Amino acid sequence: MLFFQSLISGILTGGVYALAAMGMSLVFGVMNISNFAHGELMMLGMYLAYYLFILFNIDPFIALLIIMPLTFGFGYAVEKTMIGRVIDHPSENQILLTVGFGLIMSNTALLAFTSDPKILTTSYSSSSISLPGDISVSIPMLLSFIITCALTAALYLFLAKTKTGMALRATSQNREAAQLMGIDVSRMSSIAFGTGTLLAASAGAMIAQTYYIDPFAGHTFLLKSFTICVLGGLGSVIGAAVGGIVIGLVEAMSSAYLSTDWKDVVVFVLFLAILLLRPRGLFGRKGEQ
Amino acid sequence: MHLESCIPLNLNRPIFMKNILLAITAAFMLFLALPAQGAGPVRIGFINSITGKEAQIGENLTNGAAMAVDDLKAKRVQVIMVQEDDGGDPKTALAAYEKLVTRDGVIGVVGPYTSASANVVASRADQYQVPLLVPAAAKEEITMKGYKNVFRLNAPADVYSKVLLSTVAPYRPKTIAYVYAATDFGVSTVRTAQVNAAAMGLREVANEKYQQGQPDYRATLAKVKAVRPDLVFLVSYDADAILLMRQAREIGLTPKAFLGAGAGYTTAQFAQQKDISPLVISATQWTDDVNWPGAADFAVRYKARFGKEPTYHAACAYEAVRIMTMSALNARDSRALCAALKAGSWNGIMGPVRFTSYGGFTNQNNHPMLVQQLQGGKYETVYPAQFSRKKLVYPYKR
Amino acid sequence: MTRTLAAIALFTAAAAVLPLFLGDNPYVADIIITMLMMASLASAWNIVGGYAGQFSFGHAAYFGAGAYTTSILLTTGNPGIPLCVAAGVAVSCVIALLTGAIVFRLRGHYFALASIAVAEIVRLTALNLDITGGAQGILVTDVSFGALDMNSKNPFYYAMLFLLVFTLCLSAWLRRTRAGFYLLAIREDQDAAASLGINLYLWKNMALLLSAALASVAGSIYAVYIRFIDTSAVLSLRLSIEIILTTIIGGIGTLWGPVLGATLLVSLAEALRSNMIGAFLVNAGAVSEGSAIGKFLNNNLAHAHVLVYGIITVLCILNLPKGILGMFRRKGSA
Repeated sequence: MLFFQSLISGILTGGVYALAAMGMSLVFGVMNISNFAHGELMMLGMYLAYYLFILFNIDPFIALLIIMPLTFGFGYAVEKTMIGRVIDHPSENQILLTVGFGLIMSNTALLAFTSDPKILTTSYSSSSISLPGDISVSIPMLLSFIITCALTAALYLFLAKTKTGMALRATSQNREAAQLMGIDVSRMSSIAFGTGTLLAASAGAMIAQTYYIDPFAGHTFLLKSFTICVLGGLGSVIGAAVGGIVIGLVEAMSSAYLSTDWKDVVVFVLFLAILLLRPRGLFGRKGEQ
Repeated sequence: MHLESCIPLNLNRPIFMKNILLAITAAFMLFLALPAQGAGPVRIGFINSITGKEAQIGENLTNGAAMAVDDLKAKRVQVIMVQEDDGGDPKTALAAYEKLVTRDGVIGVVGPYTSASANVVASRADQYQVPLLVPAAAKEEITMKGYKNVFRLNAPADVYSKVLLSTVAPYRPKTIAYVYAATDFGVSTVRTAQVNAAAMGLREVANEKYQQGQPDYRATLAKVKAVRPDLVFLVSYDADAILLMRQAREIGLTPKAFLGAGAGYTTAQFAQQKDISPLVISATQWTDDVNWPGAADFAVRYKARFGKEPTYHAACAYEAVRIMTMSALNARDSRALCAALKAGSWNGIMGPVRFTSYGGFTNQNNHPMLVQQLQGGKYETVYPAQFSRKKLVYPYKR
Repeated sequence: MTRTLAAIALFTAAAAVLPLFLGDNPYVADIIITMLMMASLASAWNIVGGYAGQFSFGHAAYFGAGAYTTSILLTTGNPGIPLCVAAGVAVSCVIALLTGAIVFRLRGHYFALASIAVAEIVRLTALNLDITGGAQGILVTDVSFGALDMNSKNPFYYAMLFLLVFTLCLSAWLRRTRAGFYLLAIREDQDAAASLGINLYLWKNMALLLSAALASVAGSIYAVYIRFIDTSAVLSLRLSIEIILTTIIGGIGTLWGPVLGATLLVSLAEALRSNMIGAFLVNAGAVSEGSAIGKFLNNNLAHAHVLVYGIITVLCILNLPKGILGMFRRKGSA
C-alpha cells in the first residue's frame, strides 16, 4: 500500500515538476541561458490563477486559457528588454541577471501582495478518488497531470511540425548556422523565453490549488527544475518531461523508504551521478556538455 | 596566443586608485552622519523580519507593533519606535541592534522575531546594557543563559508540547508520531515533546522531519498512517499546515488526535479550511476569547485595520512594545529601564505579565499557553481549565 | 609588481589606522568588517572564478565549512582559535578536493549547476546531522584569544583586514607566476591550454583549493565574531551568489574589483536596509516627511530594499558587464 501510494503521488507530483522543467529546458536549448528566475515565473502563474479565481471565479484549470497568452506576452517582452541583451555575455553574467530579475519579481510581489500565503481553495481542492488497497488519488493533481500530458504533446507537435517549431529547434542545435540559414534567431529567443514563461506559469497555476501561494513559492521548484533539465539533457523538452516524473518518483520513494529529511540529498546525489556518468542526460544530444 | 594580453592589467594607474578611494570615502560618509538626538519622546527600537523567509510571520509582528505605537500616541504617550529589518539573518539582527543602541539612541529594544536572531542579539545585550524584550521567539536557550538585560514575553518551546500533551493525557493515548518542519522551532519543540511524551509513557512510532515548501508529503504521511499512531504531533508554519492536513485527509490518516504546535495551526486561514481543519488541537500564546483585558477589543480593531484576524505574534508584538514603552516612560535610561522591566508587572492583552526567574530561566514571563480546538469552524479554548469554555472532543473523527 | 605592492601597502596602512578615527562606533565597525569579509570572499572566489574562469556557484560551502568546524570545536573541546581555523581549512580543502573531482570534469552551465548541487548537499547534510546542531545551529558562548577583548570589534576588524591583504598579495603574486599564467590560459581557452601541455585538472584544483582555504578562514573569523551559525546564515545559495555578484560588479579578474564591489554592495545593502537613503532625503529637507513621497520612502523603501538591490544588479549586468573597474579600464585606454 505504501509503495503504490508513493508511486502514484510521485508520478502526479512529477508531472508538475516536468511542466516547470520543460519551460526551463526550452529556454536553455534555444538561448543557452540558465534561467534562475524560473521559480518567480511559476509564482506569477500562481498569483494569476489565484486572482482570476478570487475576483472572477474562474476555475484555475480554465484560467490557463487566459494565463497562457498573458504570460507568453510577458516572457516575450522580458526577453526583448532584458534577457536577450546578454545572450552573448559570459554565462555567469546571464545567471546573475536572471537572479536579479528574480529578486525584482519576488520583491515586487512582496510589495503588491504582502508575504501572507494565499490558499486557493476550490470545491474539489481536498477531494480524492479511493482506489482498492486503501490508495487515494488527489483529483486536482490528477487533472493537472492530464493537462500536463496534453501540453507536453502540444509542445512536442509544435516543435516537430510547425515552421516556427522547426526554426526553434534549428536555433537550439546551432545558433550561428540557423542565423546563416535565414532564421531570425533573436525572434526565436523571444519566442522560446515566452513559451518557457508560459509553461512555468501554467505549472504554477496548476499547482496553485494543492500548494500555497506566496512571493517566494517558486523557489522550491528552481533547483528541482535544474536537476530535471540535466537529468533529461539540457535543452531536451521530452527529456525534461520524463526527468520530472523520475524526480517526483525518487522523492516520493526516498520519503517513504529512507527519510523525509534526506530526500533532497538523494535528489542532488542523483543529479551529480548523472552529470558524471551521462553528462548529456537521458535524452540529450551528444557533445552538448 | 599572447598570454600577457589576458592579464587584467595595470590597475596602478592613478585614475583607478583615486576612483576607488573616492567611492569608499563616499560610502563611509553616509554611515558616519549622526542622527538628531535629544530630549523629548521615548525612543525604543524594534527589530523584526520584514523581508526574507520569515517575512510572512514578521508582517504580523509589524502590524501588532504599529498598532501599539498608535494606541500609545492616542493616549498622548510620546514614543518614537525605530524599526529595523533583519531579513531573518542573525548577523544583520546584531548589526541592527548595535545601530539602534549606539546610533539611534534607543533605550530599549523589542525583538528580534526569529529564534536565531534573538539568540545572537541576546548574547550581546549585556555588553551594551540596553534591555532586549523578545516578543515571540521560542528557543529556550535565549533566557536560559542568565543574561541580565534579556527579557521574554512569550512562553518558550517546551511549553507548546507540555500543554498539548497535558490536554490529551486524561484520555490515555499509547503511541505518538512526529511530523515537523526542519527548522529551529520544529526541532526544539519536538525534542521537548519527546521528553514530555516519554514521561507520559507514550511510545514513539514515527519521526518525520521535512524540509519546508515541498508540494508533496503524501509518501511521508502514508508512512505515518501505516504505523497507526494515537497522536500525530505536528509542527508547521503558515501554509505547510494546510498542505499537510489536506494530504493527510486524502491519504486517510486518522489518529485519535492531531496536535499542532506552531503558527500554522492557529491561523484564521487554517480555520477557514472547513473540510480539513475541524477538531485539530493546537497550542497558542494568545486567543481573543480569553478574558485578558483588551484581548477581544484588540482582535476587533486589528481586523478592522488590517483586514485579517490577528495571530498570536501580533498580540505578542503589541504587548511587548506597550510594556517596553510604558516602562521606558518613567525610566529614561537603559539601566533604569532594565530595573523597571524586572520589577514591573502588567496586565494587558497577553494576560498578567511578570519577568521572573524559575526553572533555569531568567527574566522569563511564565506565560500560560492555551490549547484550542477547532469546533464548528471556531477556535475554542479547551485547556487550561480556568480559560476553557468548551470540552475537548476526543477521539478525532472525520 | 612594485606598484601593485605599493598600492596594497597604501590600502593596508589606510585601513589599519581607520579604527582610530571611528572612535567607539560598533555599528560602523561592523559594516566595515562585513565589507572586509565580503572583499576577502570575493577575492578568494576571484582566484578560481576570475583568473581560472571556473564560475563556482557554491562558495558558501567553503565559508560554511570553516564556520562550522570552528564552532563545533569551540563548543566541544576548544583547542584554541588558531587550531580551529586550521581545522576549518583542512575540512574545507577536503570538500574542495571532492568537489573538484566531480565538477571539474564539467564545463559552462553544467559546472555552475554541479557546484550548486555540491553546496546544497553540504547545506542539507549540515541541516540533518546532530553534530552541526541541525536546524538549531550552534551558539558559542565564550571565546577568548590571549588578552584580546573579544567583545570589541577591533580583533575581528584586524583579522578580516589581515585575511584580505593576504588574499590580495597572494592574488597579485599568483598573477606573476607560471601558475597564474596557466590559470589565465585555462580561462581564455581550455582546449588550447590543454594542447599547450597544461594539466587542466591539476591547476583548476589548485585554484579551487587555494580559494576554498581562504574562504574557510573568512568563515572561521565569522564564526568567532558572530558566535552563532546556522545553515541559512553560512551555507545558503544566497551567500554564494552575493560573493559572485560582488566580484562581477566590482570587476571580475581584477585585483581591486572585489574590494570595490564589496565596499559598494555592502554599503548599498546597509543603506537600503536601514532606510538611510529615505531618512537622509527627509532630513536634508529634499522631501517632506508628510508628503506622499516621504511616506513612500519611510514606509515602503525599507520593505523594498531587496527589490532595489535586484534592480541595481540588473542595471549593472546590463550596462557594466565587465564591472566598474572594467568600465574605467575601457575609458582609460580610449
